[in-house]
Amino acid sequence: MTVRIIADVLIAIGAIFALAGTIGILKMPDTYSRMQASTCIATLGMLGAMLGALLIAIFVKADAGAAVKVAVIALLILVTNPLGSHAIAKGAYKAGIRPEKKMEVDDLGRDLYE
Amino acid sequence: MQKTKFPAVVATFIVCFAFWVLLTWSFTAQELIAGAVVSLAVALFAARFFIHEKAFWFLNPLKFFSGLFYWVCIFPVELIKANVDMAKRCFGGCKNINPGIVKVPVDLKSEYGQAALANSITLTPGTITMEVTEQDGQPYYYIHWIDVTKPSGKEAGDAIKGTLEKGLRRVWE
Repeated sequence: MTVRIIADVLIAIGAIFALAGTIGILKMPDTYSRMQASTCIATLGMLGAMLGALLIAIFVKADAGAAVKVAVIALLILVTNPLGSHAIAKGAYKAGIRPEKKMEVDDLGRDLYE
Repeated sequence: MQKTKFPAVVATFIVCFAFWVLLTWSFTAQELIAGAVVSLAVALFAARFFIHEKAFWFLNPLKFFSGLFYWVCIFPVELIKANVDMAKRCFGGCKNINPGIVKVPVDLKSEYGQAALANSITLTPGTITMEVTEQDGQPYYYIHWIDVTKPSGKEAGDAIKGTLEKGLRRVWE
């Protein structure tokens, strides 16, 4: 029973961070800031939900296969998410997307895309 | 193009086979043999893309445990700090931001270390690595930062990745 409560709290924490990320995606002013907010969902939002699911799989359902699969899912998201973020940000900058409000410091534009 | 080396093939095989076992999670001889054959074929083709440096660095216990310490203790703490900071900004109406792209020098020689550092920076909410360049043998990252408080160069680098870099230098230097 205690394990169940801890797992539920972890999932709730994950949901709160996912909500923060969603608000950020909807309200941030430019592409890159929106991507920054979305990282919140893929890290602590996902980790909270996955840790909760792991606890439930181990102690409530006692199912080793499910526990291992949950751990592999979390690991794969953590490994692949930065690659995607990096490629999308670089591609957007190369395609000429700039924030409406000019960035205070823009070393990348100064050095490589003059 | 790099040539295929034997230790790289062995390491790639181990990774592929571990993933096969984790995903199927059944230990009958038939499944294990099929997994081994497929893993070996994949390793022979993919090893030269997958591993460029020393394949068995983690067999050195000092490096293995400092790597474990980095991914279990140092990185999660930074991750949670950055997440709480980002969540505060989002719940505060997304007004409290000052985005910009800064150029910071990196003091890691190994390719693994640089890749791990770039991925750690991107995984932390508030910073995204956008480009990696090298000038006169010194690697530089271009990092999009949600709240630019320090000028480009060493100061911004310390603020963004000081702790992470210190932890990674113990693993791969």
